Amino acid sequence: MNGDEEALEATAEVNVGLSGLSAIAAARAAENVPAGAARIAVNFEDFNAWYGDFQAIRQVNLKMHANNVTAFIGPSGCGKSTLLKWVNRMNDVIPEARASGKLRLGETDVLARTTDVVALRRRVGMVFQKPNPFPKSLYDNVAYGPRLHFRMSKSDVADVVEWALRKAALWDEVKDRLHSSALGLSGGQQQRLCIARAIAIGPEVLLMDEPCSALDPASTARIEDLIFELREQYTIVMVTHNMQQAARVSDYTAFFYEGKIVEDGTTNELFTRPRRKQTEDYVTGKFG
Amino acid sequence: MPHPDRPLINDAVRKAKNQLFLVVCLLASSLVLVVLVFMLTTLVRQGGGHISWRFLTSYHHDDNPAASGILPAMAGSLVVCLICAAAAIPVGIGTAILMEEFRPKNRTVNWLHQLVQLNVNNLAGVPSIVYGILGVTAFVYMFNLFGVIEANKTPQFEMGARRYYQVRTIAKEYVWIPVQDKNERTIRIEQPCRALTVQGEPLELQVIERGAPPPSDPADLARTVYRGSVASIFNQHRFFYAHLPFGTSVLSAGLTLALVILPIVVISTQEAIRAVPGTLREAAFGLGTTRWQMVRTVVLPAALPGIMTGTILAMGRAIGEAAPLLAVMRGVISNSAAPANLMENSATLPVLIYGWAQDENKGFHDLSAAAILVLLVLLLLMNATAIFIRYRTEHNTRN
Repeated sequence: MNGDEEALEATAEVNVGLSGLSAIAAARAAENVPAGAARIAVNFEDFNAWYGDFQAIRQVNLKMHANNVTAFIGPSGCGKSTLLKWVNRMNDVIPEARASGKLRLGETDVLARTTDVVALRRRVGMVFQKPNPFPKSLYDNVAYGPRLHFRMSKSDVADVVEWALRKAALWDEVKDRLHSSALGLSGGQQQRLCIARAIAIGPEVLLMDEPCSALDPASTARIEDLIFELREQYTIVMVTHNMQQAARVSDYTAFFYEGKIVEDGTTNELFTRPRRKQTEDYVTGKFG
Repeated sequence: MPHPDRPLINDAVRKAKNQLFLVVCLLASSLVLVVLVFMLTTLVRQGGGHISWRFLTSYHHDDNPAASGILPAMAGSLVVCLICAAAAIPVGIGTAILMEEFRPKNRTVNWLHQLVQLNVNNLAGVPSIVYGILGVTAFVYMFNLFGVIEANKTPQFEMGARRYYQVRTIAKEYVWIPVQDKNERTIRIEQPCRALTVQGEPLELQVIERGAPPPSDPADLARTVYRGSVASIFNQHRFFYAHLPFGTSVLSAGLTLALVILPIVVISTQEAIRAVPGTLREAAFGLGTTRWQMVRTVVLPAALPGIMTGTILAMGRAIGEAAPLLAVMRGVISNSAAPANLMENSATLPVLIYGWAQDENKGFHDLSAAAILVLLVLLLLMNATAIFIRYRTEHNTRN
């Protein structure tokens, strides 16, 4: 383990007796990352990515603004999920995946060999396409991340679990059955649980890979409301196939086609005054 | 549209073929059932009457089937299976985790990885007698690397043994004197020295001249010997007593059986691990686990029921194996008690069945059938446990 990991543990110890939340805040301070202070949270410069010989991302330049929602849209296979997964290096598990160019998370060089992926993923939470709660209790699902990263007392963990579930708008529905299996929840509840699980470790950035594609319209609406609220505290990057969803919840949108960014800008502009014909065709549903 | 012009295939013929296939399948499956029923009825008729409390609690008597029983063999089987489980389960599960969860990126290492996988798959099909021969060279003799064990010689490499010189006091009670040089098999007592009673209490051993008047106090008598009394070496082996090489022992047998079932444990564990959805691994990685943390907190708990089922079935295979045990333990059936330490040889149920079935005394043939029934019941219990675990987890995940 490296130096900042030790510093982390030290801070966590100093904070025994404080609530779990302040422990996380202190841990952030120890990492020298003032939450929300950096205007550009994620920055791609001349970014290219490959799976083996296939180039999935070509020359992407993109800035993601802190405390805003950035949506990636584009047809299937255009590389938007790939790009998302490079932010927390989830592509590391695929042996033939590699990337070039610059990718910065705050001041951290994400692609650097020396970057600790564990520490990186503590700062970048991820929510997946299909709700994937662990086959454990609701409580253990949310407490999983905090227990993994922080030395916390039991009551601190309980505080964080309640905070995260409230934040994910799930607390009132599940507070009486925290210790029953998470698999007993509905799909929409499971996805909100996954969001609670992701924010419980206090990330700066939340990656969402089509978070609503497996959900019914009512659950989708709740998740969208949640995303809208969560951007107060987190930088959110979401991949979506649903044009209306991108228009409803995002502040910035990037339109991808065959691994390249065709157009990006504020959602308002991209949807109302697209600069390129291809974008207009896509957002109006003429192709895609 | 060419279809309407073509003649139809006769429906009646199709249905008749369907019926015929069903009948063939029924015949095939009933044949299996007939064999099983025939076997069981023969066994019960031949051996059922011999199962009694005495049969379950006594040992093999040469030429006396009426007094013979299976207690040491059951104990031997149990000990061998425990050793087998203790060796095969951690190694097997560890191998399976490596094969499934730690696939290397490097091409050369990956090639080695696939070589191991190929080996595991092939080892599952190797006849068990081959493992028996391997067990003899690798465990019983250990390639003669550590010398040969000789009777009445202390092995060079050993653990779990305590040695004393045993001597009788004037009160005719035994006392034990700790051993300094284990190659000295007898000593003469010339000086007072420290000793232990048989109960393990320390005492100071007194020495008097032969012919001198013995002490009047009986307590003193119990700790006095004549000068020049001869004490001979006495081994006390604790249950984990072991030496190198392992020799013909339950330890050798258990390790050999572990080799037999290792591929089965590895393969069934791999299957259980593969059944854990990849989305759970993603979720764990996304939260910042290391690979081992992911395996420990997500994969292993989810795969545990499958691992347990596979392992229990593998143990069922181990408890019924005769060939490797015949090779490693030399077909011993006559020990009268359960093995007291790892280095003792013992009968096991399959070997006892084999021994009795070919005994010249026909009386043992019926006992052999009775022992088979006991073994079958044990196997049935183990398989039932496996099925129960499977059923319960399927039930749990559905809710």
